[in-house]
Amino acid sequence: MTLAITLIVLTLIKATPIVYAALGGVISERSGVINIGLEGMMVAGAFFAVIVSYATGSPVPGLMAGIAAGAAFGYILALAATRFKVDQIVAGTGINLICTGGAAYGLVLLFNQPGASVQVHALGSDYWILVLLAFALAAALHVVLYRTPWGLRVRACGENPFAVTSAGLNPLLLRTYAVVLSGALAGLGGAFLSIGELNLYSEGMTAGRGFIALAAVIFGRWTPLGATGAALVFGLFEALQFVLEGRIAWLPPSAMSALPYVAALIALAGITGRVRPPKADGVPY
Amino acid sequence: MKRALSMLSGPLGAILLVVVLMSLAMVVAGTSPIDGFSALFLGALGGRNELGETLVATTSLLFPALGITLAFRAGLFNIGAEGQLLMGGLFAGAAGAAIALPPAIEITLLLLLGAVGGGIWGGIAGWMKARFGASEIIATLMLNFVAAFLALDLVSGPLKGPVASGAETAWLAPQYWLPTLLPHTRLSIGLVIALAIAVVLQFVFTRTVFGYDLRAAGEAPEAARRSGIDLRRLTWLSLALSGAIAGVGGAVIVTGELHRFNTQLSPGYGFTAIAVALVGDLNPLWVCVAAFGFGILEAGGLAMQASAQVPKDAIHLIEGLIILVLAARRYVAARTEVA
Repeated sequence: MTLAITLIVLTLIKATPIVYAALGGVISERSGVINIGLEGMMVAGAFFAVIVSYATGSPVPGLMAGIAAGAAFGYILALAATRFKVDQIVAGTGINLICTGGAAYGLVLLFNQPGASVQVHALGSDYWILVLLAFALAAALHVVLYRTPWGLRVRACGENPFAVTSAGLNPLLLRTYAVVLSGALAGLGGAFLSIGELNLYSEGMTAGRGFIALAAVIFGRWTPLGATGAALVFGLFEALQFVLEGRIAWLPPSAMSALPYVAALIALAGITGRVRPPKADGVPY
Repeated sequence: MKRALSMLSGPLGAILLVVVLMSLAMVVAGTSPIDGFSALFLGALGGRNELGETLVATTSLLFPALGITLAFRAGLFNIGAEGQLLMGGLFAGAAGAAIALPPAIEITLLLLLGAVGGGIWGGIAGWMKARFGASEIIATLMLNFVAAFLALDLVSGPLKGPVASGAETAWLAPQYWLPTLLPHTRLSIGLVIALAIAVVLQFVFTRTVFGYDLRAAGEAPEAARRSGIDLRRLTWLSLALSGAIAGVGGAVIVTGELHRFNTQLSPGYGFTAIAVALVGDLNPLWVCVAAFGFGILEAGGLAMQASAQVPKDAIHLIEGLIILVLAARRYVAARTEVA
């Protein structure tokens, strides 16, 4: 019984950063921009949250900085994808390199040590608020996307941006808003990792969660609630690693770590063809 | 103004940009750009050893960059060169530690096994795309992680060398090491192999039916399909070949430099190679030049860190910026043509 409760609690915690990033992925792709840079934006969020918490001695400004950093890189991707018509995959890959390289460079500059930052003030037990907020935001994003005019416009950008223009709106501006929001969400997910679950930034701490989130978007059929469900499944895999560690001797620990990615691959093969991405997803306007 | 813009959007502009950004990174780290750059270039080109290390990095980047070039030209985003490189190295390392054949045959076999390892890894993504329509971007990304964990498991357990302390295979016997190209350095003839592949690739792109089909699929898939090109076959074949080229690179690192497989085989070559391929404009011959440029940055970056106290990670930050700006430059170039 206690094991079941531990598993549920751990699943919620482990799913939280993936939920944030996946919601970011949903809003971005529904507007027609594939955000491969989610991983980098999570890194930026995690890194700047720690830096600002270190500088101010308080985690709340750190959290804000994490969100802002994610949003800033979201804006860079938005600029690249809308104004400069850069290939979105290429731009996202560039952002991932900038963020991981930049964070490593920053660590050495600021803390004079590679690998990890010093310990900073973290949210402590308050990080529960962020867990709950993730699921609340999933519901909120669902309402925004399907029940508000703005949501309809964003979805229209992802299906047929020309129609949006015909209606007298600017699809490039709508895409920019969506991708900035996407970055802010990913940044929040990263900040949750660094000053929520832990109290420092360490290299590789995002561990591909931004990419897992991209898979969650597909399994969730590009809907906020679906992506959240998929993120929970990935969270369950991560939680299982902790719960089962040492209990199953024949299964090497890194095989357990590989499980979410293998599951994502199998599900990707199984689900594609039965789901339809937004029609103009990844297509520059 | 127009001329200035198009000048800046060319390769010169890219180099200028790198210089400016690097200077900035050096000043922020508290070093004058003159000291920083002299440390970088001395460290990369200042002697036989330095040049050797630069060319080693060039070789390690060139294989995955050529693989990526092939896939991108076919319109397929292979973000999985890192995993393909690793699998190629794993296949070569595992076989090299276990098999004993005449040296020339064994080395050839190990390089081919590298191609098989990388080819399988790229081929899985290609098969998923061709069979199910699964996004090759997500598939290749996921396969990077699966490769890393798989390699770690195998060399921590069944494939671990009998006297190895960390996660690595047994050492290859010296007669199975790839011959050295530049005496008294770590540079192997892997560089020659990479350059040969570049030439072959250029020939394939410009002079063969397969290359024509591949480019057609990349540039106008609908037209390619209607003209009778089998896009499914082309998809899995391109990704498998792309992975195979990266995989040979892994085998070259194992047989030429490390002389064993370990999980630290690549410090992100597969991702940097995306920048290399783009800077080389997806033209195999220019990709070779770009790989040399990035080889200077990679090898010189270490020296710059040691003697000028500029963190070498600044290099990766700058590589990311190069990718962004070069992708943007195509737009600037296109716009100036129209205007």
